[in-house]
Amino acid sequence: MSGGGYAAQNGAGGSYTNGPSQNPVGVYSSNQGLMAPPLTGFMNSLTTKGPPPPGPNPYITGRHQPSPVAPPPSSWSGVAPPPSSYSQHPQPGVTPPPVAPPPSSYSQHPQPGVMPPPVAPPPSSYSQHPQPGVTPPPVAPPPSSYSQHPQPGIMPPPVAPPPSSYSQHPQPGVTPPPVAPPPSSYSQHPQPGVMLPPVAPPPSSWSGVTQAPVAPPPSSWSGVTPTPVAPPPRSWSGVTSTPVAPPPVGNHTGPGPYSTGTRLPPVFQNTMQPPAALQQGLYQAQPGQMIRPPAYHSPSAPALYTQVQPSGSAAQLSPSLAAMSLQSQTPEALRVVNLLQERNILPSGAVTPPTPCLPQDLQKINCCPEVFRCTLTSIPQTQALLNKAKLPLGLLLHPFKDLSQLPVVTSSNIVRCRSCRTYINPFVTFVDARRWKCNLCHRVNDVPEEFMYNPVSRSYGAPHKRPEVQNATIEFIAPSEYMLRPPQPAVYLFVLDVSHNAVETGYLDVVCQSLLENLDSLPGDSRTKIGFITFDSTIHFYNLQEGLSQPQMLIVSDIDDVFLPSPDSLLVNLSECKELVQDLLTGLPQMFSSTMETQSGLGPALQAGFKLLSPTGGRISVFQTQLPTVGIGALKPREEPGQKAHAKQEVQHLNPATDFYKKLALDCSGHHVAVDLFLLSAQYCDLSSLGCISRYSAGSVYYYPSYHRQRSPAQTERFQRDLKRYLTRKIGFEAVMRIRCTKGLSIHTFHGNFFVRSTDLLSLANVNPDAGFAVQMSIEENLLDLQAVSFQAALLYTSSKGERRIRVHTLCLPVVNSLSDIFAGADVQAITALLASMAVDRSVTASLGDARDALINAAIDSLSSYRSSVLSVQQPGLLAPACLRLLPLYILALLKHRAFRTSASTRLDERVFSMFQLKSQPLPFLMLTVHPGLYRADDLSDEGALNVSERTIPQPRALQLSVEKLSRDAAFLMDCGTVLYLWIGRNCNPVFLTQVLGVESYAAVPLNMDQLPELDTAESSRIRALIDWLRERRPFHPVLHVIRDESPLKAEFLQYLIEDLSESALSYYEFLLHLQQQICK
Amino acid sequence: MVLQTMIVRVADSLPLAASMQEDEQSGRDLQKYQSQAKQLCRKLNEQSPARCTLEAGAMSFHYAIEKGVCYLALCEAAFPKKLVFGYLEELEREFSEQYGAKVLSVSRPYFFIEFDTYIQKTKKLYVDGRARRNLGSVNSELHDVQRIMVANIEEVLQRGEALSALDSKASNLSSLSKKYRSDAKYLNTRSTYAKVAAGAVILITLIVYVRFWWL
Repeated sequence: MSGGGYAAQNGAGGSYTNGPSQNPVGVYSSNQGLMAPPLTGFMNSLTTKGPPPPGPNPYITGRHQPSPVAPPPSSWSGVAPPPSSYSQHPQPGVTPPPVAPPPSSYSQHPQPGVMPPPVAPPPSSYSQHPQPGVTPPPVAPPPSSYSQHPQPGIMPPPVAPPPSSYSQHPQPGVTPPPVAPPPSSYSQHPQPGVMLPPVAPPPSSWSGVTQAPVAPPPSSWSGVTPTPVAPPPRSWSGVTSTPVAPPPVGNHTGPGPYSTGTRLPPVFQNTMQPPAALQQGLYQAQPGQMIRPPAYHSPSAPALYTQVQPSGSAAQLSPSLAAMSLQSQTPEALRVVNLLQERNILPSGAVTPPTPCLPQDLQKINCCPEVFRCTLTSIPQTQALLNKAKLPLGLLLHPFKDLSQLPVVTSSNIVRCRSCRTYINPFVTFVDARRWKCNLCHRVNDVPEEFMYNPVSRSYGAPHKRPEVQNATIEFIAPSEYMLRPPQPAVYLFVLDVSHNAVETGYLDVVCQSLLENLDSLPGDSRTKIGFITFDSTIHFYNLQEGLSQPQMLIVSDIDDVFLPSPDSLLVNLSECKELVQDLLTGLPQMFSSTMETQSGLGPALQAGFKLLSPTGGRISVFQTQLPTVGIGALKPREEPGQKAHAKQEVQHLNPATDFYKKLALDCSGHHVAVDLFLLSAQYCDLSSLGCISRYSAGSVYYYPSYHRQRSPAQTERFQRDLKRYLTRKIGFEAVMRIRCTKGLSIHTFHGNFFVRSTDLLSLANVNPDAGFAVQMSIEENLLDLQAVSFQAALLYTSSKGERRIRVHTLCLPVVNSLSDIFAGADVQAITALLASMAVDRSVTASLGDARDALINAAIDSLSSYRSSVLSVQQPGLLAPACLRLLPLYILALLKHRAFRTSASTRLDERVFSMFQLKSQPLPFLMLTVHPGLYRADDLSDEGALNVSERTIPQPRALQLSVEKLSRDAAFLMDCGTVLYLWIGRNCNPVFLTQVLGVESYAAVPLNMDQLPELDTAESSRIRALIDWLRERRPFHPVLHVIRDESPLKAEFLQYLIEDLSESALSYYEFLLHLQQQICK
Repeated sequence: MVLQTMIVRVADSLPLAASMQEDEQSGRDLQKYQSQAKQLCRKLNEQSPARCTLEAGAMSFHYAIEKGVCYLALCEAAFPKKLVFGYLEELEREFSEQYGAKVLSVSRPYFFIEFDTYIQKTKKLYVDGRARRNLGSVNSELHDVQRIMVANIEEVLQRGEALSALDSKASNLSSLSKKYRSDAKYLNTRSTYAKVAAGAVILITLIVYVRFWWL
């Protein structure tokens, strides 16, 4: 870089050393001075001491003493890891200007949120600067900087102002001005090294420590932009200016004309900016910046000057900083894409979430996106800005995800904020070794004595090294204050439908067999309890008490007033009564083989289950195969075949028919009982009513349409695999989850399966590792003085071993104040998932048509907002930033998704089930069902393959979901989440047929082929490796269907090709045209 | 009827094991008793009587302390004391045999929660009317139950409160006296300054007087 050159030349530097070093002040002054008339007066008064034409002077002097300047660039160019620079501050005499810049930049960042308290006061003073209206404070600093320009040697003026802002300035007179200010702010930290790290990073990286070269451009950039970025420039340009300054010197034009001190700074600033920007080549990359180059080239300083002004008048310090770094980093995310022209917009690999623009060291420890994701990885500063961007703001969580590595902390005293109860996390600030500042409510808390000791390194006095402060995802073993009652044992109750219809499907065998196989791997300890209830029109209990020679069946036929025939032998200790349980499971399928009872009393059976479990809490697994017909909670078929035809847009009966199931679910939730529903049915079962039982008790819903043991072997396999996973997966009992966020943000809507007990407390009777949650947020107070905001999800649960544990996830995201930055940080998958959840709510409360319109409007609004507010040059076509280029495609996919499509062939239960899934599935699995993956399967190669535990897994390129991508002489694999299709083209390569499918010709491919033969060929092993790998990565088991043109499943396969025209929906291209039309309107 | 059983380490009142209360069947709100039990455990220390019955309205708490572990049961007041203490001793015997060595080393609450299974079984044995008769032998071995101290739970809990009130009063007093002390110091210095200032003024006046008028 030319950093060295700058420094050397920049003699200015010399004279300016003051400027840069003082940046905080100096910069302000420059900007502010320009804007604020009073300043000049002020300045004059100060400058009186120096020679009137200060400008030239400094330069000359500067050249003579390049040394002072030289250092700064060096530190800048990369040396400056924040801590080091900080640690030096304490010794002002020693640290030459080089060090000064970073701290200065740091000290400016002061956002109350991020900054340590000692520094906090200055921010306040700074925060006023931005507002031109508040004259006095802004004026104060300027003089300092100005005064420096004229007379580098004369300390008094520069020093004078700092004291005003930095009340603690120790020895202003002694140290050279550049150095002085930083120490002042820093000198207060007893151990800068210790607590700064957490704090320092944000500013440091932003300011340019990490991206030293990059930082300047943004600063300059923002300075020029009309957007309200002004403040940053000051702080920033100050910092950056040192290195960049040379141009003015070289040109001499800049400084020359402006002999007055006042003017110098502006020129200085301006001139430096352009070069930086140029180096970056940002102009082209950033649409917003396009205007700028001319400004740069224009020789007339005044013009620049005027440009700077607006920016200066605008207000925020911090966000702009983030913005700058953003811009410098993510030109790719904002690359303009004309959707109408770019056909292949799918990335070659998986769609990856954007990385928040945080300093590297913070980002390194930030919460993993698989667990915690935000739709906007850059949080807008104000609600107004958010409204302008027209993008939804929300979080997607997968809080109980199975993690391969999870630090667990046992501590008698869990450190939490005293006012907002936030758990200590990596994004808090250590004010000093004894106090920390909450990153959510900004309260300063004491660090407890135990926390000073680090159990990992066995050292004392370094609280910031504790695992709690090093990991964004952590689990605590809770002390007894977190228990209202002794931890409950794992309790499992199975409620099985044994009516004629149920026996007919043959599901009982599968359930009993799976249970027998997995009895030992049910999560739990020696206290684990288990029980069984079966029901048809009566309810059958099973007495499994220890000592009985065989299970006893107790029949309760009074289903209007259910009672428990035996209070304590129906739910038995699994380890003690295992033999009886095994006996029962072996005998159960035969017991009802000849039943003629067709009625189903699900409601009373659930009531009985609730009564059985309510003293302890636990899990009820319900297997249901038909519409409940007797007793309380009986339902009537609501799906009328005729209705499908006439109401094309409107789908009715998405709402529950009775509130019995919801009420029962709430009772269950209150007693820590969750109900999981397995629906295996060919006919209509009114899932929208039945589903409530799981939805409000935090259970899960499984649906196997047309399940039959003989007729659908693939379904059976899937059911078996799902059951295995269901029975053996981790489980958390009596759980609650609370999501907190930084003051100013508020959470207003939750999506998922739970009951909202208070505003931010979700009651989860059970929590399972496959449950996802989403929340919507709004910005209630402006986040003006914050650089970053944090979100914390804390899940308190009882493990199956009777331990009370708290799992805490913390996510930190930067705050930005420009629309382009918001768009650059948009996470298209998260946005799609959140929109889908919102649309489900809308279709239930309003109508499906409304929901569909809302989805389309969401795409229109955000793209038109992008077009009008971010793009400066209007081009024809449908323009989207690269990061949102998939949005229209995903929206179209949602419109064609089973939950929202209008085609008449969608059955109501399937639709409702899809809606449940959209709301409760974790993001990655949800995206698969929305937008399936399509791969060419007959030419898999090991090129670019993944190597997972010694297996080679080919990674074919994802194709657009369109028939045009299919070719008759190939085979394609489609991954739709719960189902995989292998489509064989008519003229498919015969080698593929023989090597993979083991058949001689196309005609010999069986019509319903559900698995691939295990052939010992390279092709076969490749494709099986791929399929196995796809299956392993999800908690449910997708079945495979090999299909060809004649297969009955072909229609389903074609439905997933969402880019094509279908009976009731537009093709992708038509959809884009429609969007464009709406946007241009 | 034994409604609730807790096993607690006396030294830091860390709960080691407990049996879930059966609030569904009894239909009673045991929340109050549960918090009382927690408070009681916090009050217990090495000096507490080793066996004691505390009356709390319709219920009574019975506890026995052995080897630094407190076994506490909540029963209906009418439930025979003899049986309760027999029950607690039975628990004590089994618990110290199974986990006695580990009691001091654990730090997680309810570390021995699996003991719950045994508690429930024993409870059933003692509560069941028919089985009770068979326990005659056990009961007779019990030492004189009459000597076991009886007190009221309120008194026990409030005794602590009185002490803490006293404590807070004392600390209040000491902080007040500290304040008084600093105030006095401040006044003292002020009056000293005043004296010095007065002296200085007189001196200066004198000097001025001497300088201008005398000479």
